[in-house]
Amino acid sequence: MNPIDMSSPTGIAWALLPEIVLSAWTLIVLLVIAWRHRTAADSRLAGWLSFSGILVAGAALALLWTGGARPAGLAMMIALDDYRYASGALILLSAAGTVLVSLRYMERENLIAPEYYPLTLMATVGMMFLAGSEDFMVLFLGLEVMSIAVYVLAGFDRRNIFSSEAALKYFLIGAFASGFLLYGIALVYGATGNTNFQLVGAQLSGGQVPMLATLGLGLLLIGFGFKVAAVPFHMWAPDVYDGAPTPVTGFMATGVKIAGFIALVRMLFEAFPATEQYWQPVIGVLAVVTMIVGNLTALAQRTLKRMLAYSSVAHAGYLLAAVWPGTRLGAGAVMLYLLAYSLTTLAAFALLASLGRGGERDVRFDDVAGLASDRPWTALGLAVCMLSLLGFPGTIGFIGKWYILQAIIVESHYILPVVLVVTSVISAGYYLPLIMSMYMRPRSPAPSYAGLSLSHAGAAVVAVLLVAVVVLGVLPAETIDATLRSAGTLVRTVAPLAER
Amino acid sequence: MNDFLNSVGYGQWILHALVIIPLAGVLLLLAVPERAAKHVALAVTLLEAILSLGLWWHFDPAAGMQYQTAAEWLPRWGISYRTGLDGISLFMVLLTTVLGPLSVLGSYNYITQRERGYYALLLALLAGLIGCFIALDLFVFYIFFELMLIPMYFIIGIWGGKNRLYAAIKFFIYTFFGSLLMLVAILVLVWKVFAATGTLSFSYEHLLANAGAAGALAPWLFAAFALAFAIKVPIFPFHTWLPDAHVEAPTAGSVILASVMLKIGTYGFLRFAVPFFPDVAMSPFVSALFVVLAVIGIIYGALVAMVQPDFKKLVAYSSVSHLGFVMLGLWGGTVQSTQGALMVMISHGISTGALFFLIGMLYERRHTRELADFGGIARVVPVFSLILTVVALASIGLPGLNGFIGEFLVLLGSFEAHPWATGIATTGVIFAAAYLLWAIQRIIFNRLGNDENAGLKDLSVRELAVLLPLVAVIIWMGLAPGPVLRRMEPAAAEYVELARPSSGGFAASPSTGEVQP
Repeated sequence: MNPIDMSSPTGIAWALLPEIVLSAWTLIVLLVIAWRHRTAADSRLAGWLSFSGILVAGAALALLWTGGARPAGLAMMIALDDYRYASGALILLSAAGTVLVSLRYMERENLIAPEYYPLTLMATVGMMFLAGSEDFMVLFLGLEVMSIAVYVLAGFDRRNIFSSEAALKYFLIGAFASGFLLYGIALVYGATGNTNFQLVGAQLSGGQVPMLATLGLGLLLIGFGFKVAAVPFHMWAPDVYDGAPTPVTGFMATGVKIAGFIALVRMLFEAFPATEQYWQPVIGVLAVVTMIVGNLTALAQRTLKRMLAYSSVAHAGYLLAAVWPGTRLGAGAVMLYLLAYSLTTLAAFALLASLGRGGERDVRFDDVAGLASDRPWTALGLAVCMLSLLGFPGTIGFIGKWYILQAIIVESHYILPVVLVVTSVISAGYYLPLIMSMYMRPRSPAPSYAGLSLSHAGAAVVAVLLVAVVVLGVLPAETIDATLRSAGTLVRTVAPLAER
Repeated sequence: MNDFLNSVGYGQWILHALVIIPLAGVLLLLAVPERAAKHVALAVTLLEAILSLGLWWHFDPAAGMQYQTAAEWLPRWGISYRTGLDGISLFMVLLTTVLGPLSVLGSYNYITQRERGYYALLLALLAGLIGCFIALDLFVFYIFFELMLIPMYFIIGIWGGKNRLYAAIKFFIYTFFGSLLMLVAILVLVWKVFAATGTLSFSYEHLLANAGAAGALAPWLFAAFALAFAIKVPIFPFHTWLPDAHVEAPTAGSVILASVMLKIGTYGFLRFAVPFFPDVAMSPFVSALFVVLAVIGIIYGALVAMVQPDFKKLVAYSSVSHLGFVMLGLWGGTVQSTQGALMVMISHGISTGALFFLIGMLYERRHTRELADFGGIARVVPVFSLILTVVALASIGLPGLNGFIGEFLVLLGSFEAHPWATGIATTGVIFAAAYLLWAIQRIIFNRLGNDENAGLKDLSVRELAVLLPLVAVIIWMGLAPGPVLRRMEPAAAEYVELARPSSGGFAASPSTGEVQP
């Protein structure tokens, strides 16, 4: 593929092909459901339509990725590199899994409102913009498109008070975080006169870093801290994850995290490489605190959904540790870990959705006692998920953690690795009891999962995800190379750019 | 024999086969009906054991590390599936493969629920253990080191006793903690070596040759390795998981745990921790620390064993004591002491394995392991009592049985370097006699007080098939240890050489001392 000239309309159309396809498809789905929105069949139709839209967008993305689309000159507004394509693929994967799992779930929970699916697609578009943003304006737009759609999704079960609480909480905190981000962007713009990442990076790398830019960076980090649920900005996460319908929780825990972390890495690499001495300690401290607090509080949870919510906070800590080095290896580790985490977490939430009713808030560890004898495949799937989240060899979770450790150790830094492994041991204290409960305890008299099962589509999604978890855990060479290659396409601005 | 083995290319495939056969067995088990599971597992482990016995003849003691293979896995990171066998790992592998079919056979009646899952996990455990002993790539070693955790965790947690959940998670978390810190240490070492040599590789040989690149970090790295292995051994004060795990585990779980899994710890010291960082390991302070901990383990394990009312717990604590001898031998710094340590590892594996089988058989009959519930059963079950006595005497270290050789060599070889510690350790042998003989007395001699014991059945043919091979090895190794010692001597000498610190260290330790007791 020829380099794309981003100043021409055709160039922009090419550069944004997957996002354009998906946005247009969202509108089509909206049009369809304007007439067909009453029955469960209508809802299913919207779901399958949305799924096919995701596939088409994935094809468009693959076209750019395999064609090696690159910008002619400076990338304006949206990035054209493998890092964006890889993250886009992850986001689409997360969306596709969510849609397929939701099909049966929404009917079961009596949520016959096909608007669910276009909202999911909108959030997906927002995530893709956020992850691909090359400019603070696009970053903010992507963030808002994503967030607003997800606020609605979180409160989708409007008869459930916890779901409404989740939406309200998420909205308020989200608006608060957006304020920080926007103010940070304004300060950086004030300091550099630019909103393009690479131009900002070029400005800042020439000599003294203005106070204003440092301040802006700090506010941006706070904003991102909220979005990725890093301690101490994580307070909203457990309640929101807990209250939202389970497939939505899976979507939030994966898609939002992917987009947030990719955007964070890109921003730090391209706009703030010259201020590494400022952000590196901040990220390091956030990582340590997040790993410790996330894992310790997860230890105290008695319900599955809340445990997974806190564990996702802990995983944000591991991801921050991967951001810390600020190197190609680190960026690759972020991508690989996001892949590992997303595959596993999506499967875990999909399985959880088949274990309870009414949002699965009250599925306790005891409620799944003896699951292995009633539903051996579900138990096996959850066990594999837990081991992968724990980072046990033979699963992609281990490869991800190993890779993060490696990326940090290369920098001759040893505190983060030690904290990472010690907190991983702590995490065994809450992942293993689930396995114990399923395999080693006698069956409970009134199991919460009685009469429930995964739909065929959901089972297929889980099977694909889990096979990927194990296969990529045993034969990870190609995946590792791909993530590293994608990280290699990030522009790390260290010298002033020639143009302008 | 060797001509035949060579004609079938034995050396090329045997190490792969030893890992692949049990794993294939796992898949096979998932496909067969529940009631056929134990027979299939027995067939698989028998095949494995018979194949592995060829190593006894085919192995060439003079050739050092042999049967080496390497298959690329993550080439970019210098990780390959590298395996090999030397005089140290040879016996560990043989111990594992021989105990395999015996464990299956010993579980025939003990395990009655979810048999398929049980035997599949047992086979996976064997594969993990063998992989651990033959791995010559630290990444691969780490993976096997972790992988064997899960089967054991399930075996304890599902088929264990009353308190099994607690024991299972304690076992898991202790080991997991040590091993993850070791992973960090491995990565640090690899990257330090990379920085010094320009070659990124997890290969054992490469790291061994260049471990000096760790520089000032060496003490920390040694500490991480040592912690992981010390928990596994277990060295006092990291031993608290062991009695719980042993008591709760089903018989075969205890056997594998005591006989083979604990040896991963001492094997780790022999293979990795000490040879990588001899200057740290053999520095006066660290050396004194490990010798003191070893002696504490010997005495403490024996004293605690003496007061146990539960026979299984008694044997569990005796393991702490026996493994103290191994640790003492590793720091003895002579070929004798190292050979002695290896001998203790093997003979402890065999005699403690046999003891756990015997306890299991007793438990199957009476559903109790309390010493107080027995007494005078020698008249009721004479064959059982005879075998129990022989095995216990072997464990005590009676000359003429296998336990004696190892402990004698350890004490002999370590005396020069650590006279005081060795002197104190010698009393451990006396304590061993005390706790085991006393226990034997309370079980099979005395007065037949309990009526329930009057109706005990003696050993069945199946049970004899489990025990007699072990008893045969006990007597054979006790009377003629020469073939075993000859095969391990070059490897032991190499360890002593590697463990010699670059400056100073042991004075005048004979590096090629021929031992012929």
